[in-house]
Amino acid sequence: MRPFLIKDFKIMLRDRSELVALLLMPFIIMGILGTALSGVMEGDTSSIDIQLAVVEEDAQQEGIAAFQEQVRNSGVPPEAEEELAAAAEHMNPARLLNNMLEDPELSEMIHVQTMEQSDAQAAVRAGDVDAVLTFPEHFTEDTLNAMLMNNGNGSELELLVSDEGSINTTIMEDLLAGFTDNLNAESAIAAAGAGGEEAASIEIGGTETLSQNEPVSAMQYYSIGMAVMFVLYVAGTIASKAFVEKQQQVYNRIILSGTKTWKYLAGKIISTAVIAFVQLTILFILSALVFRTFELTSFSFWIGMLGISAVLAVCVGCIGGLLTSLSIRTESDTASGVFTGVIVTLFAFAGGSFFPLDGMPAFISAFGSWTPNGAAMNAYIRWVQGFGWSELAWPIMQISLVSIAAAIISFLVFPRRRSVSS
Amino acid sequence: MLEVENVSKSFKGRNVVEGMNLYLEKGESIGLLGPNGAGKSTTISIISSLIKPSSGDVKLNGSSVIKKPAAIRKVIGIVPQDIALYEELSAYENLLFFGQMYGMSKAGLAAKIQEVCRLVGLEDRQKDIVKTYSGGMKRRVNIAAALLHDPEILIMDEPTVGIDPQSRSYILEMIRNLNIERGMTVLYTSHYMEEVERLCDRVYIMDHGKVISSGTKEELKNILSAEETIYIDFDRVYPAMYDELQHHQDILRASETENGLKLIVPKGSRLLSRVFQITERHKAQVTNVNVSVPSLEDVFLHLTGRKLRD
Ligand SMILES: Nc1ncnc2c1ncn2[C@@H]1O[C@H](COP(=O)(O)OP(=O)(O)OP(=O)(O)O)[C@@H](O)[C@H]1O
Ligand SMILES: [Mg+2]
Repeated sequence: MRPFLIKDFKIMLRDRSELVALLLMPFIIMGILGTALSGVMEGDTSSIDIQLAVVEEDAQQEGIAAFQEQVRNSGVPPEAEEELAAAAEHMNPARLLNNMLEDPELSEMIHVQTMEQSDAQAAVRAGDVDAVLTFPEHFTEDTLNAMLMNNGNGSELELLVSDEGSINTTIMEDLLAGFTDNLNAESAIAAAGAGGEEAASIEIGGTETLSQNEPVSAMQYYSIGMAVMFVLYVAGTIASKAFVEKQQQVYNRIILSGTKTWKYLAGKIISTAVIAFVQLTILFILSALVFRTFELTSFSFWIGMLGISAVLAVCVGCIGGLLTSLSIRTESDTASGVFTGVIVTLFAFAGGSFFPLDGMPAFISAFGSWTPNGAAMNAYIRWVQGFGWSELAWPIMQISLVSIAAAIISFLVFPRRRSVSS
Repeated sequence: MLEVENVSKSFKGRNVVEGMNLYLEKGESIGLLGPNGAGKSTTISIISSLIKPSSGDVKLNGSSVIKKPAAIRKVIGIVPQDIALYEELSAYENLLFFGQMYGMSKAGLAAKIQEVCRLVGLEDRQKDIVKTYSGGMKRRVNIAAALLHDPEILIMDEPTVGIDPQSRSYILEMIRNLNIERGMTVLYTSHYMEEVERLCDRVYIMDHGKVISSGTKEELKNILSAEETIYIDFDRVYPAMYDELQHHQDILRASETENGLKLIVPKGSRLLSRVFQITERHKAQVTNVNVSVPSLEDVFLHLTGRKLRD
């Protein structure tokens, strides 16, 4: 297999126009887009404007009083009783949440109106508000009981959103998730302090958590976007070179040497993957060096980047194999031509290389998330935002599935034994 | 050792090779001669197991190549009609790659590469990129690549197309040496008569996908008329002698040329000595004599009514 790799590598390195197309072009475009669009993407919070309706079905003061009453009747020692009463005031979840929403920085983005349930429902349906946050009946009492006395199942905040998956909704969900996590952790400590056992938690009902840890800079976005787009061209390039091999009978020479056809194909897949991996690595490091896109010194960060790159590179390798098979089978370079001329551009748009897909119809983003570049982009961005490995599992799974499919098809399509059909 | 048995091949319903029969003995040098589109390259692809024939079989030492292509692939070296090399790599890198494809070890390969480079006369520039080579040099590397694994049978598809006379002469000489000194079996394809005449023991003449004639060079030429042409030039005109020769009973025809006479005589009649007796008698001074035997070109013309090349 090594001779194949060395040969393909040398040929690639000696083709100056190829190097320009695979390294210089994406580098220049990331520079241009990253600089030009930095205002649009970065920290410009004024563009975020969330209308939130809050429905109070809970009575806080009564809830606290009821809780304190229960504590008194539960027969705990007097010191603990005092402590718990104070904690109830201090940790009153509804008040904490309201405080958070009124925080000056947040209140610039989130505009809170208090409404009746029926009005709120109507407003969210009409699109006048983005989300409705409901404090259910006995929320304060139930959560305090669960948190501090380990009594009952706590309560659930209800978040009703108008547009699942939109940036605004996502921010709301993240905020609430962060808040409840925080509160649960604190209540565990408080409960421990009060001599109670492990506390139950409060939850947010009816929503799922999605993305957006740290904001991604435009330069980061387009470095990733261009890298995942241009890495696809490696597959087309290798396939078109394979076609030239076939056409110039070098392929026949390889077959005549007794080399098995599957070895030839596997060689193509591996050399495409290796070249793609090197390209991605060079692009990210260049971007980090020249544009200061990524922290250069964080070892664990780069391990993640290289890990995602490796998965993507293997996928590009398999696509390269598929295009090679098609080229050899059909004895024409139409397949690689269509791929580099049409499909890459299509994938790049759908995968979000040029702009985020938030405003796009759902089927486009669904399709985009299945393109190798789109899935890889999701993974890279989550990683840059500081999400853990578990958040990368799905996109990596998507890329792997595409790889396996491409590999299987390429081996099925590749002509056996003889180089000329019919 | 190699037999092509009644092989036919059609592409999209058009017969390209029809009922081809051909055999190759060990150590022989065989020529496959035919004009453009005769089906020479297709025949070679079938022999080398790259194309499956529509019917018929190819046998190597009695066993079918079509069923088991591995056997023939080991023993043949193919020089394709087109230059089959990586243009971006040097000759050395090309040879290294193809040698490795044959599973040759790196150490043995390095020595072998030097050997074949010496053979084709390319030692000096083997590290240069093939793209920068002249046509003749590319042809030489194209041949070298077929020799790396010491093939028993060397099959060459018009290996001298489009190169300068010097390179061509060098290549022909080299093939002759491989055939004679190393006992390599050679199948040589060309539409240059002279090459085949110079290199080959036996010749197959192909046209429109069929072998129209085959045999040793002599056998083929015997197909042609049983006549020979003798051209004799003199220092001046000798009318009496001309008259005598024109009326000689064994000379079929005699006609005046610019510097002398053209005599048509029956083949193998050993007339030349008798002609010289006559010139002696007339004290005529002979400046030039030329006995012309038919060429394969003439044979082809005779068989098809067409010239090999236009
Ligand atoms: N793959 C193919 N598909 C269709 N037709 C083909 C194919 N290969 C060869 N032919 C046809 O078969 C005929 C014989 O071709 P071939 O290359 O064997 O001739 P050749 O004797 O080698 O000619 P040349 O001297 O020009 O090389 C030609 O008419 C050619 O067009
Ligand atoms: Mg030919």
